[in-house]
Amino acid sequence: MDIIDLSWWQLSIGFLILIIPAAILWWFKTGLNKQLAIATIRMTLQLLFVGYYLEYLFEYDSAWVNTAWIMIMVVVADFATIDRSDLNRTWSLILPIFGATFFGIILINLFFLELVIQLRTFLEAQYAIPITGMVLGNCLRSNVIGINDFYYNLKDNKERYQFFLACGATRNEALYPFFRQALQKSANPTLASMATIGLVSLPGMMTGQILSGSSPMTAIQYQIMIMLAIFSGTILSVYLAILFSNRFVFFESDMIDPSIFKES
Amino acid sequence: MCFLKLSGIHFSFGEEIIFDDFSFELHKSENLVLKGDSGSGKSTLIKLILGFLQPDRGEISLKGNPMDTKAFRELRKKTAWLPQDLNMGENSVRELITIPFSFKHNAVSKPSESTILETFEELGLQEEVLDKQFTDLSTGQRQRVGITLCALLNRPLMLLDEPTSALDRSSKDKAAELLLGDPDRTVFSVSHDPFWIERCDRIIEL
Repeated sequence: MDIIDLSWWQLSIGFLILIIPAAILWWFKTGLNKQLAIATIRMTLQLLFVGYYLEYLFEYDSAWVNTAWIMIMVVVADFATIDRSDLNRTWSLILPIFGATFFGIILINLFFLELVIQLRTFLEAQYAIPITGMVLGNCLRSNVIGINDFYYNLKDNKERYQFFLACGATRNEALYPFFRQALQKSANPTLASMATIGLVSLPGMMTGQILSGSSPMTAIQYQIMIMLAIFSGTILSVYLAILFSNRFVFFESDMIDPSIFKES
Repeated sequence: MCFLKLSGIHFSFGEEIIFDDFSFELHKSENLVLKGDSGSGKSTLIKLILGFLQPDRGEISLKGNPMDTKAFRELRKKTAWLPQDLNMGENSVRELITIPFSFKHNAVSKPSESTILETFEELGLQEEVLDKQFTDLSTGQRQRVGITLCALLNRPLMLLDEPTSALDRSSKDKAAELLLGDPDRTVFSVSHDPFWIERCDRIIEL
């Protein structure tokens, strides 16, 4: 079955439904209507831009261009991770988090795209771009949870860290409980979604594939693969982001550089 | 013999000057106690000795050698620190006591459960305390758990911040025996407690 094409006219009718949530938010004086308007405009413009860009990417389909696009996505994710983690954009965070996200996504891409799916051409745009986007989006969310928890937990419980150091721990040993908690917190949302997938929600990728005519079983196979990629990618990128940034954000005295924190 | 020396220390938190040209010497195997008003920087001084804070001016030397990052790290391996208010978050008492012995440097001296319980008994702590959350303990119990850990670490240097402030008389006796009893150990403490102060060899007023 072919997908029913949406006309621009039909899509614009779709926006009318926003009147209901906007009215509810306005009635309860939530003050969120301006944000709703901005978010809707941003979402539409960003997706339109990506749509045009992806059309070009798919048509051109060059490994170099695709790699460059992935790099751009990683750079955007890098800055978004730091900002949403309430940390300052210092080089000691920008470079390690970029390296961790890039390394994580490359490893996941090579494994799933080249070894498991075995793309017809290296980093074939039709697969590489959407799958990288999905994994990266989830990496971003997990990185924000993990990095924010790690550094702010360390800041709020500085004495506990110092106590471990004073008991003879190396820096890594003293950081271990903080690292463990950050990994637990960042893994939990993905684990919860893996445990309920198919029961509570039908995931977007699978829905999209079914809508565009794939058999449900093919869609499910891809969905299982993408969940494995997302979970592996998120844990790997959080682990590497904390591991790499730890090499740059501590003074020689083992104390953390306070300039990385937004709140003083 | 001078073990640890602080010379001409100047330290401030922003505009607030905590130490201005402060000096003192800690001799090997002595029990030195520092007296001072609250907020006079007694806890800060311990953090300076451990290298967690850096003085704006002045020098800290160990056995005559100015201390650098490596020396602070080495000193921490020979030190047991009892903070005034130990914050261990969600950990149980058992975890608090076993975590430090999971560190490579301490692995060889990991105490058996019976050794931990013997020390508990000496300080009047019940066996059940071992499986309680540290945050659920009273201030006095927390202090006694901290003292237990210091005694089990059995380090040649002890840095103790108000070690007996929340203890009853019999626990104070036991704490003094455990912490000050070894004639080879060097103990630097800060305290308001006359009981503790009169058991130390030397007093410095801040």
